[in-house]
Amino acid sequence: MHDFTLRIAGESGEGVITIGETVARIAAREGLHLVTFRTFPAEIKGGPCMMQLRLSDEQISYHGEKVDCLVALNQYALEENLPDLKNNGTLLCEAECDLPESDLAPTIHKVPFERIAVREIGSRISKNIVVLGVLSHLLGIPRKSVEDFLAEKFAKKSKAILEHNLRALENGIGFAEAHIEKRSGFGFPAGDKERRLLMTGNEAIALGAAAAGLKCFFGYPITPASEIMEWLAVHLPKLGGKVLQTEDEISAISAVAGASWAGEKAMTATSGPGVSLMSEALGLLSIAEIPAVIVDSQRGGPSTGMPTKTEQSDLLLAVYGSHGDAPRIVIAPTSVADCITMTGLAFYLAEKYQMPVIVLVDQALSARVETVNPGLVKNIPLAAARLSSGGERDGAFARYRLADNPVSPAAIPGTEGCEHMVTGMEHDEFGNFACDEETHTVMTVKRFRKLAAIEDDPALEDSCLYIGQGPADVGVVTWGSSSGPVEEAIREARRLGISARAIAPKILNPLPHGKLKKFFAEVKCVVVPELNFVGQLAALLRSTYRIPTIGLTKIKGVPLEPAEIVEKIIEAANGLHARSEQRNGTAG
Amino acid sequence: MEQQDRFCDYLSGVNPVWCPGCGYYGILGALVEAFADLNLPTKELALISGIGCSSRLPYFVKAYGFHGIHGRALPIAQGVKTARPDLTVVAVGGDGDGLAIGGGHFPHVARNNVDLTYIMFNNAIYGMTKGQFSPTTTLFSSTKTSPFGLPGDALNPSALAIIYGASFVARGFSVKKEHLKDLITQGIRHPGFAFIEILTSCSAFNTTDMNVARILHALDYVPAGHDAEDPIAALRLAGDDSKIHLGVLRRKPRPTLEESFQNIREKATHGKPATIETLARQFA
Repeated sequence: MHDFTLRIAGESGEGVITIGETVARIAAREGLHLVTFRTFPAEIKGGPCMMQLRLSDEQISYHGEKVDCLVALNQYALEENLPDLKNNGTLLCEAECDLPESDLAPTIHKVPFERIAVREIGSRISKNIVVLGVLSHLLGIPRKSVEDFLAEKFAKKSKAILEHNLRALENGIGFAEAHIEKRSGFGFPAGDKERRLLMTGNEAIALGAAAAGLKCFFGYPITPASEIMEWLAVHLPKLGGKVLQTEDEISAISAVAGASWAGEKAMTATSGPGVSLMSEALGLLSIAEIPAVIVDSQRGGPSTGMPTKTEQSDLLLAVYGSHGDAPRIVIAPTSVADCITMTGLAFYLAEKYQMPVIVLVDQALSARVETVNPGLVKNIPLAAARLSSGGERDGAFARYRLADNPVSPAAIPGTEGCEHMVTGMEHDEFGNFACDEETHTVMTVKRFRKLAAIEDDPALEDSCLYIGQGPADVGVVTWGSSSGPVEEAIREARRLGISARAIAPKILNPLPHGKLKKFFAEVKCVVVPELNFVGQLAALLRSTYRIPTIGLTKIKGVPLEPAEIVEKIIEAANGLHARSEQRNGTAG
Repeated sequence: MEQQDRFCDYLSGVNPVWCPGCGYYGILGALVEAFADLNLPTKELALISGIGCSSRLPYFVKAYGFHGIHGRALPIAQGVKTARPDLTVVAVGGDGDGLAIGGGHFPHVARNNVDLTYIMFNNAIYGMTKGQFSPTTTLFSSTKTSPFGLPGDALNPSALAIIYGASFVARGFSVKKEHLKDLITQGIRHPGFAFIEILTSCSAFNTTDMNVARILHALDYVPAGHDAEDPIAALRLAGDDSKIHLGVLRRKPRPTLEESFQNIREKATHGKPATIETLARQFA
């Protein structure tokens, strides 16, 4: 595998993201695989920001640790990011920056980006395009590809604006050709020319939902999930769908309940604070047996917490949140590609099992840009229409019929002769309120039997991401966006001679028991890396399977790094070794 | 199917759980008679409610019914109508459901002008939980949770609805069934958000605010010359302290949410609908 990691760091508003996105788009067109990571300042304007891109000639799911090339647009960006530059890496920094003391010996190029932009182009805001020009030379990005991209980007603007930008590009390239020597073997890996789609996790969720037949979206703006509603607001009407911003999250999920009950596929997307507000309605969806898809893009919590930072701390809220025994499905995509297919799967499962499905992603996955295969949107499993047949009993419609199949007939309004009640109260087969002990017992069991039926669903055959196969000393169980760094860590641990493998269940409620039990039988200890303080997945695994776990938790608002995971894997392997020495005695 | 035109065609056969003497029986009667007068097919009727005595109503009516959670009847109903503009959607609930816990939804569903009828049973008390004050209980009233007198003043549902921009606002009285039936009929026929406040007594609690004799004494009908298009005139009647005005206070049709959605669709597509493949292509 050949890969290359680029980081651009500067002030928010300086065009850092534009540079990163342009490089990324061109790389995807060249047929490279890539993953990006970016930080957002909490404020609207200003504040430090960075974007990192890792390009590879093979499928990857982590944005890289140390960077091959760092672009620092100001002193702060330089000092903050220099420690992450590889020893043999290349630094491009604004000419006025002072290099801090460092043990590193990177190749350093000071470039007067701003001066070129102001003097040659006459506008400071062209600085990012000058940077792009320098990068194009240094990394070997075909000049024509950059020009074509800019032409497309500014197609709707005036010709003068495009020419202005092309001139900035030209000046950047010119400066680089005169002052920067290209290093052989440094820069873009070769792509396979397979044009890939490039999108964020949030865009993938929106696209996956649209592909699954979403017709009604209701939502309330919240970081880091708002982009899902924003994308759908533009595009869903083109497919005949409707998007409505409601007055709060409670209204959003209630409207989802109404729309879904009325027969259309409905969804909302929010973050932890929104799910907290929605928990009562989650219980309603569960007891009334109404399909619904709820996306939770997790951020640092509790309360307002750290709105722009990533965390995986809503797992237990997703699995248990709401009063009473309220079964629901929880799924967790591990990549941007997963965001398309698993959001599609969420609709399928919601319809098939008539219950709410929570799609758990996090800020890092929502915001990261990744290449995906264009064919994915066509491979969404489509749920069969709700069936009213078999509901007729004694001249009324038994919406909650008790039978071998815990999924009951469902009639949408308008169906002749199937008028009935759905309700958040405990109810009999006809939906009439009934608060006796017998009814509450059989109906609760019925609702949980649906959950039990899910494990054998063929649609969940690929419900786990496997990294490595067969028996291993150290088994890593992780979830969601942490799977990317875990994959890198397993690769590194094996390079170091440690027997390690990993599994990431993409469905977290119900857990894929068969697959996890088999995994536990094949490994000697279990390490659980995740982004929360108490170890929520570890707690779930311990209580479900009564196995000991070694937690690796992080709450810094950023993803796990492979090195941290490798360290834990080594520690776990050494622990095994020490135990086996105690058991068997050591020679000498 | 034979035409459904008798009020009993709209009763589910489930017996109401309300107390003897409850004003809600009269409202249920007026409602099913209005349905019968309108010849609404029961299969195309969606009745949505929140929580409270009045929110039990959908169980007693033959229709597609949704008994949701406290305060959320309007958002649920908005979802139903968004998904299925072909249905006749009626939301019912109490003054607590709609003005206390659900008070944040009322202005928004009103301003969206969702084409549904919202019927608020205003009995100025929490009956189901047995006698605590509600958003419409009057100042200084003594209730179980205001034993030494209520510190807050009563809200005026119809006046609020006018200010929130409801395109149809009417006030009825459970005792005046024929009049009420007529208001409900007009509300359902109104294209847009129709709000109907119904004054009604609780036979178990609060015998002062919604005392039938007191209301009969104070009531007056909306005068024949009232201009319902004039919001100030509507507000003057709704907020009149000296009299309780029954009738249509406000009527000013404007584009409904569904019409807005159609508009949005046209603007978004420019006349050429997309497919999922064309949408995916923007990421290439």
